[in-house]
Amino acid sequence: MASRHRFLIDGTEHSVTVEESDGLFSVAVDDDDPQQVDLTNSGLPGLFSLLVNGDPSQAFVSRRGAGFEVTTGGRRFKVEAATAGRGRRGPVGSLEDPIGKVTAPLGGVVFEVHVKVGDTIATGDPLMVIEAMKMQNEVQAPHPGTVTTLHVNVGDRVDSKGDLLLEYDADEPDVGDD
Amino acid sequence: MFKRVLLANRGEIALRVQRTCREQGIETVAVYSEPDRNALHVRNAHAAVHIGPGPATESYLAIEKIIEAAKQTGAEAIHPGYGFLSENSDFATACEEAGIAFIGPSASAMQALGDKVSARRLMEAAGVPVVPGANDIDPEDLDAARAAAEQVDFPLLVKASAGGGGRGIRLVESIDDLEAAMRASGSEALASFGNATIFLERYVEPARHIEVQLIADAHGNVHTYGERECSVQRRHQKLLEEAPSVAVTPEIRQRLCDAAAAAARSASYQNAGTVEFLMDSSGDFYFLEMNARLQVEHPVTEFVYGVDLVLVQLRVAAGEALPPVDEVPQPRGWAIECRINGEDPYRNFMPSLGLVEHVQAPLGPGTRFDSMLFDGLDVPIFYDSLLGKLIVWAETRSDAIARMRRALSDLTVVGVQTNVPFHLELLDNPTFIAGEVYTSWLESNFTMPPAPEDDPRERDALVAAALAAELVKANGHAGPSTSTTAAGGGWQRAARASAVHLRARDGGLRGWHRGTGS
Repeated sequence: MASRHRFLIDGTEHSVTVEESDGLFSVAVDDDDPQQVDLTNSGLPGLFSLLVNGDPSQAFVSRRGAGFEVTTGGRRFKVEAATAGRGRRGPVGSLEDPIGKVTAPLGGVVFEVHVKVGDTIATGDPLMVIEAMKMQNEVQAPHPGTVTTLHVNVGDRVDSKGDLLLEYDADEPDVGDD
Repeated sequence: MFKRVLLANRGEIALRVQRTCREQGIETVAVYSEPDRNALHVRNAHAAVHIGPGPATESYLAIEKIIEAAKQTGAEAIHPGYGFLSENSDFATACEEAGIAFIGPSASAMQALGDKVSARRLMEAAGVPVVPGANDIDPEDLDAARAAAEQVDFPLLVKASAGGGGRGIRLVESIDDLEAAMRASGSEALASFGNATIFLERYVEPARHIEVQLIADAHGNVHTYGERECSVQRRHQKLLEEAPSVAVTPEIRQRLCDAAAAAARSASYQNAGTVEFLMDSSGDFYFLEMNARLQVEHPVTEFVYGVDLVLVQLRVAAGEALPPVDEVPQPRGWAIECRINGEDPYRNFMPSLGLVEHVQAPLGPGTRFDSMLFDGLDVPIFYDSLLGKLIVWAETRSDAIARMRRALSDLTVVGVQTNVPFHLELLDNPTFIAGEVYTSWLESNFTMPPAPEDDPRERDALVAAALAAELVKANGHAGPSTSTTAAGGGWQRAARASAVHLRARDGGLRGWHRGTGS
């Protein structure tokens, strides 16, 4: 019984078909030929030893929401689930936040806030600065709009990436085709 | 020798110092901030004292709290590590007043060397070459400053006497820019350090950053341990250091070591210290500053000289004399250190923090990994991004580079992005391999290439993700599989342990970890 998975890596969609027989997996990535995969686990949760057509590698898999983060050969891949409606990006394309919200790009302490409720913001405007590990990181507006709620003040700790920082009323996208 | 030593630091350096203490049968006292409750140096200590919340000003920089912790636990000595209070003369004084041995130089030596103008004067008097410059600059007397600048010659640097970390420094290309640079440097120095004193220094470029390790005892003996090459820097932060330097001949080494020893003697210096020099392409070198502490990069010297610098520090601080100079070992082979930082080289080196889910440390001959990492560490946001230091030794530089490549590819850190890809690119760079590196080289000439496209690792990642997704689906939940209804042996084998992890990541582990941290 084969099953098909659709993933996004860096916005590119991939499909992976998995078939299992006799303890071995036959896995086809995108349009490639199916590969014989022997997957085992050395006893540590999430750490897989893989033999793909006999080529060894190891991968550490963590669950991230509906997707995964996979570390293999020293590189980290964010493997998102490409279900309908997911994986769609805002008009800027550089941030993952839904329109109307700005979340923290990393954990840290709010060092500066450059906007207040009611301010009009344009794409790329500096909104605030988050300091982590003695480094200051500017958070920029992903979309034009008007600030409606500030969820943090200077000195607040932002526990982790993804915490809500600010909400705004997004301007309607310019749909003209001039 | 001391019976009990307090470690006034955290992270890899607290562990490093603690290891030597434990080997010597010296008990250690750990102090820790709230987010460091679970740190390894706390677990390994004989006593541990909570000294405050995360911000360093309320914990690792709180002099009274640390002195109090030492008194309370009966510590006879304090090792300050690097950073934090290591070069704070008030702390050294507070230790002295409390009758606790400070494992480092005296407060007066620290003050004399900490102020750049006073250090320049000391070195000039001791015959140590300093960068040509002008010490007595009155910001109000512009004519005199212009005349002094013409003497020094352009380009030059306007520097703050109390400066550090690159602050208060301005590059001046011509006399027209002098006044603005003096104003900017002076006001920045006043704001940052409370001292507006400035001086002028010729801009030596291209220059290598060469530093000499030394240790001085209380009996007038000074041992030097050759040089370290630290020219690979970004924003004044060293990233890779090696010992020895390709640019230092035995004759230059002798002159460097003599100058460093003279520098130490001029300040009546005691304990471990490092004299930093700028060296130009002709091999002429100039005193830059003296760092009154053990340095981050001390392990490369330890490898090449076969010495435990922390052990020598402890002995000297306990009043023991250094062995005769002819017993200082001769350097052998080549050592390289890569600083492993929690930062993403593919995203402009943005800090990367979070829960370290899994660590595999490199092992093998000539390989050393000094690190605070462990499975389950939640990297605190309050401190710098240094997670560990990977150090290798081999007979030759090219073998050391090859060994470092191997060791870097053996280092796995899951959950936090490290700068390992940067180091691997650097080690492949022909200019680096040739050793033709100057302090400005990395920022002006090295660009981190983007992550490779059509990376075969991407296929492995997709395969692993698909199989992990199957696991979650087959079990109906992500808990440990006891079911035999899943497809068969392969699934069960794979499911056994991965499922435990997948469940933990959903929230339990992190919450638990945080909960016990306070």
